[in-house]
Amino acid sequence: MSDYKMKDIEWAKINKDVLESLESPRKAFWIVLGVCAFLVSLGVAAEIYQYNQGLGVALMNRPHFWQLYISNFVFWIGMSHSGTLLSAILLLTKADWRKPIYRFAEAMTLFSILTAAIFPVIHLGRVWNMYWVLPYPNERTIWPNFRSPLLWDAAAITTYATSSALFLYIGMIPDLAICRDNAKGWRKKLYTALSMGWMGRATEWLAFRKTYVLMACFLVPLAVSVHSIVASDFAMSIMPDWHITSFPPYFVAGALYSGCAAIITLFVLLRYVFRFEAYMTTEIMDKTAKLTFAIAMVWNYLNLSEYASIWYSNDMFEKEVLLEKFFGPYCWVVWGMLLCATVAPFAMAFKKVRHSMWGMFWLSLVLQLGMWLERFQIVSPPLASNHEPWTWAVVWPGLVQLTITLASFGWFTMLFLIFCKVFPSVSMYEVKEMVFHRRKASSRTELEDLDKVKDEMVKLEEKLA
Amino acid sequence: MGLKRMLENWSDFRKQDYYEDEPYMWGMSIDLNKCIGCGACVTACYAENNLPTVGKEHYASGHSMHWMRIERYWEEPEGEADIDIKESEYPERGAHYIPMMCQQCNHAPCEPVCPVAATYHTPDGLNAQVYNRCIGSRYCGNNCPYKVRYFNFFDFNTEIPHPLEMQLNPDLSVRSKGVMEKCTFCVQRIRAAKDAAEDEGHRDHIEDGSFQTACQQSCPTEAIVFGNLRDEASAVKQSWEAHEVELNRFEQDKSEDIRGYRVLEELNVEPCVMYLDRVRDTEA
Amino acid sequence: MRKRIKHFLFATYEDFDKARDAIAELKMLDLKEMVVQNIEIYSPIEHPEVEEILGEFHQPIQRFTFFGAISGAIGAFLLVAAAAQSMFTVQPQGGKPVIPLPMDIVITYEGTILIGVLSTLAAFFIYSGMPRSLKKHYNEKVSEDQIGVEVQVLPKHREKVREVLARCNASEIREVTL
Repeated sequence: MSDYKMKDIEWAKINKDVLESLESPRKAFWIVLGVCAFLVSLGVAAEIYQYNQGLGVALMNRPHFWQLYISNFVFWIGMSHSGTLLSAILLLTKADWRKPIYRFAEAMTLFSILTAAIFPVIHLGRVWNMYWVLPYPNERTIWPNFRSPLLWDAAAITTYATSSALFLYIGMIPDLAICRDNAKGWRKKLYTALSMGWMGRATEWLAFRKTYVLMACFLVPLAVSVHSIVASDFAMSIMPDWHITSFPPYFVAGALYSGCAAIITLFVLLRYVFRFEAYMTTEIMDKTAKLTFAIAMVWNYLNLSEYASIWYSNDMFEKEVLLEKFFGPYCWVVWGMLLCATVAPFAMAFKKVRHSMWGMFWLSLVLQLGMWLERFQIVSPPLASNHEPWTWAVVWPGLVQLTITLASFGWFTMLFLIFCKVFPSVSMYEVKEMVFHRRKASSRTELEDLDKVKDEMVKLEEKLA
Repeated sequence: MGLKRMLENWSDFRKQDYYEDEPYMWGMSIDLNKCIGCGACVTACYAENNLPTVGKEHYASGHSMHWMRIERYWEEPEGEADIDIKESEYPERGAHYIPMMCQQCNHAPCEPVCPVAATYHTPDGLNAQVYNRCIGSRYCGNNCPYKVRYFNFFDFNTEIPHPLEMQLNPDLSVRSKGVMEKCTFCVQRIRAAKDAAEDEGHRDHIEDGSFQTACQQSCPTEAIVFGNLRDEASAVKQSWEAHEVELNRFEQDKSEDIRGYRVLEELNVEPCVMYLDRVRDTEA
Repeated sequence: MRKRIKHFLFATYEDFDKARDAIAELKMLDLKEMVVQNIEIYSPIEHPEVEEILGEFHQPIQRFTFFGAISGAIGAFLLVAAAAQSMFTVQPQGGKPVIPLPMDIVITYEGTILIGVLSTLAAFFIYSGMPRSLKKHYNEKVSEDQIGVEVQVLPKHREKVREVLARCNASEIREVTL
């Protein structure tokens, strides 16, 4: 009965295991953290150079006004999608396998938004004036331009970052109380402040559950809207191959796809680093992989239908860009994407792959590479062959852009690892709930079994009589 | 206060083409038959509008700042070519020249995408760029189908070699790094002409030809005509009418002998620059 | 004002069923003799059944959500519509109306969600009584695997209630006076 696995873990052991993860991770933790800090410092150096010299050092130029910064922005926003959205959907559909994995998935959401939010900022020509996009009252009654999809982005990201941070925090309060009861020193002070006097009273639990579900109801449409709005940055323009009606759903599917892949990566990583083998089981990995596979197929469909609709529309400009994508200078990006994101996920059709932790780890990295390439091929090739043939040019991202890209991965991983070290990355109270309900359900089936045995005995007695 | 104003003028604010009844709309007409591709207009633009000369390397890497450029397109000759195209560097008929600068679209795609409203439409139909407000998101540059917006990728204005800083035009500013800029139809000259007209007591009418844009002024073949499209008597309006080019049209009806067209007008961006097609002898 | 002295009994149980039994017995006793002033349950996980035992809780959080969301929508729409025309001069752009409704809907949507979420959160803090400081008699076992039952009694009834609590296999009973 695979459904009733994980029913025999003692509650005290759950507390102990998870709390230990805050104290003694494997050595790999510190090595990864060091590497990430180094990458971040490289990125800071590159940004300082770019700040002083101007954006030209990033090797963007006239048709290529946008490049890696924007594709990274889309990538990170996309990665942020799965965490909160899946957590909220699975909460609303009462899928209990979400419980051991949703905490780190939500943390992943928060930190990838924080990573994504860096990119529109360093991408600006005059970073020092970035606060001008905020609608703050001023004596000259100058307001930002709400017609611009960039402003929608700002609004959507603010809303999304706020809501998912609060969703993460609210869901963590009971666990923070557990930490508070077991911690010493600075941790005690931190957890006491953050748990805000949670004692597990019935009033608190009922208000908590209601709030949590209501917030989940908001987060599902919010997450969908956020990536549709990011897609609007492209779809609302008139550039050939950006101005595509199917972009919003395409982006949302792509976001869920890369987000699920990221969840799998971090799943395996956390399981290893913090020794969570008992909680992050192959059963959950199997379900996550199936979900990823389904989303990958949705994304594939939308991707291919986009090609098909461009091809059949026979629009001069769009067809040109499409042909340039497949056979032009950026062709290996597109073919690489198709290989990594369209072909590779079929490996997940096999149970053997789904059940092998490190196999899924490498596969998820391949999927993410594919999705990263996808974001690059959305941004660059249409700019390279735009409406005006005289300006056509092929430009590859320079060293500054690549360094900052690398640094963003370091920044994300660093934040995430620090989070896992300070806060419980597996939800203790929800795992307890899962164990409680599964135990109850299995004892119920046992009782039913007993009833059957009794019935049979009665029948047997009747026969004998 | 803002709310009251909004409710009072609601129907106005919901109307498209807000400036329909203004007395001015600046437009241009460029005769490609007359254009010889000499580049005098480009040079004049550099001088008039304080454009930085970026040097060979930056030019090659696509960081040039010419608000006006001469684009060259080659047409493959119909039928048998006299010279083998592969042997010669260019086909024998020479290039088509198109002087390309900001088309001052009435439905400019660059305007609504600016996050800080640094670019907007002026009452006289110009597509204005407010340098001080620009934060350099470069969305406008992407969304311009003509790619005639130029971004200061470096701080070019601090590196002007010695005698050149003495020829800077005091009528307008130099731009610092991180700012988008583009052709303004020499807005400083328009402003001066408007001020002069106001002093003379006719605010709503500027005599046609009383001022010229820098490119128009320097064109040796007078291929460029500039003026007020709302003034029935102006040369540019008459030229537009003669070549049957109208605003608010997706595509102009082009019969054999009518040469007027607007570049990429099928995108419905309403450019204010009309080009007159170059006529070539197909036999030659 | 003189602070009223309150007396509590705080019992912990190994599982929820035992705690439920204890509360049921207390209620029976209460029907006869009116000994109990207030009962609260402390648990490491959520038990939706507590409402059946302790009676309904009045927590209209969804009302906050609803009105928060509506005011967010109105506020966001007014912000964008007013901002579009309250520049020092009106700024028409791209031949579009000064107040373009389809575009404003996007911001309205985000405003709805943002204020909706924030007001839900505010309601959570109002109805859960948080943030607050820990009670002195809070038993840390409750956050691990025990169920706590806190009964507020008058001093004269204390022994009776204690007896009931102990009869249902309480693992620990504390007496607290505040």
